[in-house]
Amino acid sequence: MDFKPSPERQILFDTLKKYFENEYSLSDRNIAAHSDLGYSKKAWEAMRDLGILESLIDPELDGFGGTALDISTVFEALGRGLVVEPFLEVGILAAKVLSKGNDVQKSLVKKILKNECLPILAHSETDTEYSKSFVETKLSVEADGSYKISGAKRMLKHVTEATHFLVTCRNTGDASSEEGISIACIPTDREGIKIDSFATIDGGRVSDLTFTNVSISSEELVGELGMSYSIVSHAIDTGILAICSEALGIMERIKELTLEYLKTRKQFGVPIGKFQAIQHRMAQLLVEIEQARSSVINATIYFDDETEREKTISAAKFSIGKIGTLVAEESIQLHGGMGMTWEYDLGHYAKRLVLIDHEFGDEDFHLQKYISL
Amino acid sequence: MDLNFTKEQENFQIEVRSFLSDNLEPQVIEKVKNGIPITKEDSERWHQKLNEKGWLAGTWPKQYGGQEWDVVEKFIFEEECGSAGAPRIVPFGVGMLAPVLMKFGSQEQRDYWLPRMLTGEDWWCQGYSEPGSGSDLASLKTSAVRDGDHYIVNGQKTWTTFAQHANMIFCLVRTSNEGKPQEGISFILIDMNSPGIEVRPIITLDGSHEVNEIFFSEVKVPAKNLVGEENKGWTYAKYLLTHERTGNANVAVSKRKIQKLKKLADDANKNGQPLSNDPMFASRLAQIEIDLQNLEITNLRTLASVENGEAPGAESSIIKILGSEIEQDIDSLTRKSLGKRAFVNEPDALSAGYNGAEVFPKAAAYASGKYFNHRKKSIYAGSNEIQKNIISKLMLNL
Ligand SMILES: Cc1cc2nc3c(=O)[nH]c(=O)nc-3n(C[C@H](O)[C@H](O)[C@H](O)COP(=O)(O)OP(=O)(O)OC[C@H]3O[C@@H](n4cnc5c(N)ncnc54)[C@H](O)[C@@H]3O)c2cc1C
Repeated sequence: MDFKPSPERQILFDTLKKYFENEYSLSDRNIAAHSDLGYSKKAWEAMRDLGILESLIDPELDGFGGTALDISTVFEALGRGLVVEPFLEVGILAAKVLSKGNDVQKSLVKKILKNECLPILAHSETDTEYSKSFVETKLSVEADGSYKISGAKRMLKHVTEATHFLVTCRNTGDASSEEGISIACIPTDREGIKIDSFATIDGGRVSDLTFTNVSISSEELVGELGMSYSIVSHAIDTGILAICSEALGIMERIKELTLEYLKTRKQFGVPIGKFQAIQHRMAQLLVEIEQARSSVINATIYFDDETEREKTISAAKFSIGKIGTLVAEESIQLHGGMGMTWEYDLGHYAKRLVLIDHEFGDEDFHLQKYISL
Repeated sequence: MDLNFTKEQENFQIEVRSFLSDNLEPQVIEKVKNGIPITKEDSERWHQKLNEKGWLAGTWPKQYGGQEWDVVEKFIFEEECGSAGAPRIVPFGVGMLAPVLMKFGSQEQRDYWLPRMLTGEDWWCQGYSEPGSGSDLASLKTSAVRDGDHYIVNGQKTWTTFAQHANMIFCLVRTSNEGKPQEGISFILIDMNSPGIEVRPIITLDGSHEVNEIFFSEVKVPAKNLVGEENKGWTYAKYLLTHERTGNANVAVSKRKIQKLKKLADDANKNGQPLSNDPMFASRLAQIEIDLQNLEITNLRTLASVENGEAPGAESSIIKILGSEIEQDIDSLTRKSLGKRAFVNEPDALSAGYNGAEVFPKAAAYASGKYFNHRKKSIYAGSNEIQKNIISKLMLNL
């Protein structure tokens, strides 16, 4: 048995790690993350030049990766760097959906790689409904065979510079039915789209979208009318694998920062890491983070197994949600006041880690999903 | 055992309630109930209203403008303020320094400083912690050297809450290096406008500015600002900390926050049903509610022993641990209850100048921010680990 990544993936991971350590300064990241755009265009371009996007995309669409292991490796590195640029939104969610589309849509994936477009999946609706099949946005068929969409999409990241929206919508079935879901790929300047944006706690901006009688043509559907649930579902599962891996990278970095602090911060004449109460807390974090890593490995192994994928993905997302919040809270506590400051890196990692539990379903949701599967 | 209020206590409760409903500003209630920070001006207007009624420092002796409330009256007042969404009284002057001055200060100091706390002429901050001295407070280095009728102060304080608003700071300073570190500490009052003081903001992880670093360089402080005796400051500081910690139960505030959380959960949907019907969510909420009910009694038991003349000892550590953790649990579940909306961080969304998109529900404007900001509750006023050390030592004799 061998849990080591292949040499190529290890090289990729090490290259990215080094790049983030040397070139992606957290203070620049924080300024960009809380700006009006929500990320740095310069950093986005520099990182694209490293081939990060290609490593997320299948060879037949001009990438050189795209497997579960590739994605997991890259996102763990992105987590270590606390990268805020839209790799998840564009490189995973949009690219996975478009790769199931017609030739024009597939060519958009190639354009992503050339930095000629920035498509965003517009799927999530009600704030607290995490079900992948929850879609109320209405698709109505017009007399001339064209379609119109009306509805609202909530809390989408990185919409500001988007060129296309991939909008999920339904023409039949009740709100959570897997049947009746379609995806429309439309330019973002199409008439009838309203955007409200907000600053976020963990960086990047989020937006609510309202679609009012937005016209689309039949060529703009990705997949067949009413039959696209499996496309969305697979894209989101891939997204979950990605952010669980991101969380691992974040936790490893938090562990390093905290350990370093426990060894250097002195109170009562000794490093605080000498207090047994503190040692046990830190040891517990290590134990939990190992479990989190195993849950992600498990989800990666079974990712292409249609019968096991959802269950192992839910198990991983549950584990990451539970452990991530613990790691964030404990690491702040072990730092004392220092953990509370904007100046110091830890808090920014902790915020992203906690907010990962609010993306694609929290620990409660995935525990219930696991029970139901 | 009798947990009922007397007739007089009931009447007092009614009086407090009607005062609050007549005097609290709706815009301030809205901020408080949605967990959004209030401004210095909001606090000052509220302090003034309370002072006009004689309730800004209800526990103080009548001669200094207080009401001599006993612990039950204090409890009733705080309970009602908490549930009405009143701003918290800024504690540094009336709640922390005042008890020290009354017990250890000179008559002249009491007569001068206490009335100014009530009128709001002075805004106090607390200068205990230093970069190298947090949990190990007794190791503090900021020095005060006697020079005629002045002390000359040099050093640095940090984490000073609201120093940016304050014109006065009470400080622990080192006046001697002999003997145990605790034996060389003095308690002194310093004018923040003195030459040689520089205040720099520390921004917290949620992006807000409430703490600061303060640098002292050759600051001249009149010797009459020394409280009590030189090198006895540690005793005064410990006395103050016990007062600080018993005020940390926050039962009324936590109750109000639970009500708000229930409302949020009723209005949110999960699996096509109100979130409050979700068994996982309901179980989390119920556990917090039970913890809080238990704390309410634990807190009353501590208060009752204080009423019977026992000084709050290590019991205040129990209250500090529970009060902070329960409030953090509520903040955590509030964040959870907002689902994806928890990404939003627009703490100015309820302020007049805000021109961004409307945040709905309003509590989402700062729910995650508040959750992260309130991680401080288990760190300050003596971290919860230090409270456990105190319990181990004083209650368990370990
Ligand atoms: C938001 C905020 C506001 C504050 N406001 C003020 C203020 O107005 N005035 C003021 O004077 N101070 C203030 N403080 C400072 C606060 O009192 C200190 O942060 C606190 O005492 C902890 O000290 P520290 O931050 O140096 O952490 P450290 O003492 O370095 O502790 C780091 C970690 O080690 C643990 N630890 C330390 N010693 C032990 C031990 N012996 N056994 C087990 N664990 C141990 C701690 O619990 C903590 O988890 C504030 C702090 C914050 C965060």
